[in-house]
Amino acid sequence: MYQYDVIDKEFLVDRSNEFRGQVVRRLAGELTEDQFKPLRLMNGLYLQLHAYMLRVAIPYGSLNPAQARRLAEIARDYDKGYGHFTTRQNIQFNWIKLKDAPDILDKLAEVDLHAIQTSGNCIRNTTSDPYAGATSEEVDDPRVWSEVIRQWSTLHPEFSFLPRKFKIAITASAKDRTAAKVHDIGLLMRQGRDGALGFEVIVGGGQGRTPYVGPTIKQFLPTDRLLSYLEAVLRVYNRHGRRDNIYKARIKILVAALGAEEFAKQVEEEWEKIDAARADLPVAELNRIRNAFAKTPFETLPARSEAFEIAKANEPAFARFVRNNVRAHKQPGYAIVEISLKAQEQTPGDASGDQLDVVADLAERYGLNDLRVTHAQNLVLPHVKLDDLPTVFAALQAHGLATPNIDLISDIIACPGLDYCALANARAIPIAQDIARQFADLDRAEQVGELKIKISGCINACGHHHVAHIGILGVDKKGEEFYQLSLGGSGAEDASIGKILGPALSADRVATAVDQLVGAYLNVRADGERFLDTYRRVGLEPFKEAVYAQAD
Amino acid sequence: MKAIVANRLLDGDVVFWSSGQWVESLGDAQLFGEGSEAELDAAVNTGKGQPTVVVDVYPIDLAPSEGHWAPVSYRERIRALGPTNEPTHGKQAEGGDVIDALRHAVGAARSTGRVDLIRRK
Repeated sequence: MYQYDVIDKEFLVDRSNEFRGQVVRRLAGELTEDQFKPLRLMNGLYLQLHAYMLRVAIPYGSLNPAQARRLAEIARDYDKGYGHFTTRQNIQFNWIKLKDAPDILDKLAEVDLHAIQTSGNCIRNTTSDPYAGATSEEVDDPRVWSEVIRQWSTLHPEFSFLPRKFKIAITASAKDRTAAKVHDIGLLMRQGRDGALGFEVIVGGGQGRTPYVGPTIKQFLPTDRLLSYLEAVLRVYNRHGRRDNIYKARIKILVAALGAEEFAKQVEEEWEKIDAARADLPVAELNRIRNAFAKTPFETLPARSEAFEIAKANEPAFARFVRNNVRAHKQPGYAIVEISLKAQEQTPGDASGDQLDVVADLAERYGLNDLRVTHAQNLVLPHVKLDDLPTVFAALQAHGLATPNIDLISDIIACPGLDYCALANARAIPIAQDIARQFADLDRAEQVGELKIKISGCINACGHHHVAHIGILGVDKKGEEFYQLSLGGSGAEDASIGKILGPALSADRVATAVDQLVGAYLNVRADGERFLDTYRRVGLEPFKEAVYAQAD
Repeated sequence: MKAIVANRLLDGDVVFWSSGQWVESLGDAQLFGEGSEAELDAAVNTGKGQPTVVVDVYPIDLAPSEGHWAPVSYRERIRALGPTNEPTHGKQAEGGDVIDALRHAVGAARSTGRVDLIRRK
């Protein structure tokens, strides 16, 4: 894992001290709320329905045990014992007091964590593959490039006041676990014919009120030119983005207005003007960063583990966990373990301080000190020996962390919704809990197979409903909560925007409607088809029929 | 019936106006009925003049529920109670008649319950 150097550490302390001074001035009345609000937002501090909310970055979704334990401590000491993992590899604390926020930032800084650029019109935390460094699918370690972007974008003077927020995702695997195509910039690493590495650059994807799957503006960007090219993209956006209208200020609107070809042309023109020697990363610095990630101390192990095979054969619960939550590792004798934060009745993405401590201990004892956070609001132990898997499973099970439902129907993404969020129109959490209850039978959930349900409490789409196999959007109909269903979205490599099924449903109808959609799918699915595949083959009609024909 | 709501600057907690003070429970809030519009406006203005104490001061509509007054809008009811996914978090943890009345209140006349959000400039 990358270790912060003296400059990084001093910078975090300075930043925390600066915010402490700003809070003192605000409380003394020397700063008005209008002056203070952008300052607190630059440190991830929002005012929500019940309290302040602090959003802490988990850069490219990577944590070490000390960091996880510190998050647990903050959850217990300053919150109500919980943290909420978001859809962009951040964690949010829902019950923060303004007067405590500087102390919390100090405590985060001690373990190289921070809340910088988790809000505001700047380059946000880069999303990356939670399986980075563990999956054999990848052509390179995307954390290297995420760290390069973190260093480049942190307090970048030219890009700290963009027209609107700006989100980058990087994946180096063909299977996309980052939702790269619905980010402002999606970087897909590819190997060229000559073996050289480059990025396919996608610009102008996004969700919110105008969702787009981003177009590719460059097929192959050599990796050593990444920063100058990003600078060119950001510069074109900074110059022409719609600062006059908050709803049209994201880069996706600019790209759509100009057309991908024209936008790409302008970026190329800008790129030519940039002095590469100044803008691009020196090879020595890249190597320094790369070395920090290259040192995972894997043991040489046989590919087959008897302990693992025996446990799998004897313990059906373990076998089910392995089927659904364990993925192949690049290193023989190791596995990637997903930890679901979607147990029955759990708030999707919530982890208690005690659970974070358990996971930190497991990462330390059995996981090479590495822990990841996924955009689907789950956790990952990326490097667990097959020999240790039965022990890890038992420990997870003892703390309500062994729910075997990754990518199944009860692994639901949900934003905090109207239970916490000042922007929401409707609640998301209780709807997720209703649906999970409806599909509590794990045999049935496995029979249904991969089905990604994502719920947002408003059109800002933090719950990724546009790119869900079944998307659910909370709307306000004359002051009551209603839910609009959409089908056929995907945030993965086969990205697409879902289509609205029909009129919005009342809260108590949603779980039943999902059941009806699943029924319709099971009726017509062909061998091996996921829900999404069946939808793409048969279209909206059979599903519409299933939900609305009985409604009259 | 109306009440005045705000967030306390220091901790963000939801507070209600009560005759010159800010209180944490809707049950203790001052109620403004028909004919007390001038008094309501004056109290809102006083609240807005306390920027080191509270932020986001505005009046909300209330409707009767089980012998108490509950915010008309769902959003304001959640603010007066706490999140529905954690029934022991926030103001609802205290329990009692007023909390029950808030929990049982139904219906809403407008999206935010925030009085004059759109009409007033």
